[in-house]
Amino acid sequence: MDKYNDVSPFVIIKSDVTRRSFIYTDRALGALDKSKHQYQQRVLIGSNGGENAAVPVSLLLRDGTSIIGTPSKTAKNPYVVDQIDGKLYLTDQGEIVEEVHYWYKPDYYDKFTSSGTPMWQVASARPQRLDIDPNSHCHFWNKGNGCKFCNINANSTQSEKECNMSKQLTAQDVYETVKEALKQPGAFTNLKMSSGSILSGAEIFDDEVDMYIEMLQAAGDNFKDKKFPSTIVASAFSEKQLARLYENTGLMTYTSDIEIPNEALFAWICKGKHNEVGYAEWKRRIIRAVDIFGAGNVSSGIVGGCEMAQPHGFTNEDDALKAVLEEAEDFASQGVSVVHCVWVPMHGSAFHNQQNPSLEYYVRLAKGLSDLRKKYLLNVDMDNYRKCGNHPDTDLDRGNLD
Amino acid sequence: MSILNERIQALLQDSGTAKVLATVDKQGLPHIVSDPSISVNNEGQIIYLELIETSQSNVNLVNSIWFKRKVAIHLSKGEESYQIKGYPAYSVICGPVFEHYYKLSLERNPEFDLSTVWIIEADEITDDTYAARKNKEREKHPLITHLDRLAK
Ligand code: SF4
Repeated sequence: MDKYNDVSPFVIIKSDVTRRSFIYTDRALGALDKSKHQYQQRVLIGSNGGENAAVPVSLLLRDGTSIIGTPSKTAKNPYVVDQIDGKLYLTDQGEIVEEVHYWYKPDYYDKFTSSGTPMWQVASARPQRLDIDPNSHCHFWNKGNGCKFCNINANSTQSEKECNMSKQLTAQDVYETVKEALKQPGAFTNLKMSSGSILSGAEIFDDEVDMYIEMLQAAGDNFKDKKFPSTIVASAFSEKQLARLYENTGLMTYTSDIEIPNEALFAWICKGKHNEVGYAEWKRRIIRAVDIFGAGNVSSGIVGGCEMAQPHGFTNEDDALKAVLEEAEDFASQGVSVVHCVWVPMHGSAFHNQQNPSLEYYVRLAKGLSDLRKKYLLNVDMDNYRKCGNHPDTDLDRGNLD
Repeated sequence: MSILNERIQALLQDSGTAKVLATVDKQGLPHIVSDPSISVNNEGQIIYLELIETSQSNVNLVNSIWFKRKVAIHLSKGEESYQIKGYPAYSVICGPVFEHYYKLSLERNPEFDLSTVWIIEADEITDDTYAARKNKEREKHPLITHLDRLAK
């Protein structure tokens, strides 16, 4: 921390806890109050709980930023969340690192839609964001070409089997859940939708676009104005598809993840995306979205550190960082914010046995991406610390005045 | 344990007290806001409600909680005046505490859209009334005064 004394220590802690993972002591788990805290959640990538059903879904830090992650039983050197003198702390080798809180449960969570679906299975809640993932099955896996860091289909298949959680949502359930969520004053500042890729349609992704239009219209029926603070994290749509989406829904911002900002590694790690669309075209489509949504209202996520996956990834951290930041600068100079999450070699993904890079790599990556936004005057309100919470780099933007 | 005594807590609870929050930015430039809604909670922590997410005060408070920089609060009512210095300890943006103050802000003004509940823990208190400051100076620096005041 001393070396990076101009970087928020909360960002450093968050990055390290995510990359090393964490576990709970029994005392800490005893502090989970099921009536107040979230212990089950629908997520696309990661884990919906399953056998860990009574584990807090995530952690909040004192500065209001989040650590998004689930405990790992196989982590070699995890942080430990413990309860000490009535407060919860992250600890490392028995030393207190920082205070944490469990995520609160929104009021709608224990209610049901008219079709009997538990509302928590329709929308999950980040600290200030309503998350709706209408389709948790990715078609890239059908041809065996899912992204190698991703476990979407393994996770959704397990959740369907163990918790009877449907892989697809209905528009009526979405409408009713959003209606209920909006009754809680001050609880949400953004609505986000995401889904596995749907390749079918006259043009690739046409059916995915139709699905978002239907779901965003259902959610949007609850708002006074046509447009409302919202985003989707979706496939890279053509200009025609983007225009259709923008004109027919309340959508205000758009994300499509380039995942690995390097063509050769993208072709290896995101083989499906590369085969069907290609790196250059995926990137071009994201940049063209700026014409519709405006500079700063389009972002692209990368799985920070995955560029060092072996055997084909970079072996030297400086080289990897240089390549990532150069490509991120190309995006930023054309109005697209590149945001990163910390790569966790997850159970159920092809990369589950891999090792992610050093903490220092993540600190430099977060600072590098945040500095690029400063340089190109991009604000990232659509994807910031209180909306998503999964990007150490956007946490840093909060300390700068635009 | 809060160091705020009963009188200061009462002043913080009093909407008739003038209350000012001073913060500094990354370069050390000061910034001041006057806000009569600054208050105290049951734990003796100072509550500052930030209504504008992108305000200079909010960004300064973010940097204060990250890098452990002090902020100052000045209270005055009639002859009484106190300066409190302390650290932002929590930036609350969600959950029951946030929602409690969100509703309170709406009651004050339906236009208010609360961004952040800042919880500030006091670290030092100075009695800032003229008499207290002058007495302290006379004690420590007896040579600083105008002679006419000492004349027979
Ligand atoms: S496109 Fe890749 S990252 Fe996205 S859901 Fe499909 S496999 Fe996962």
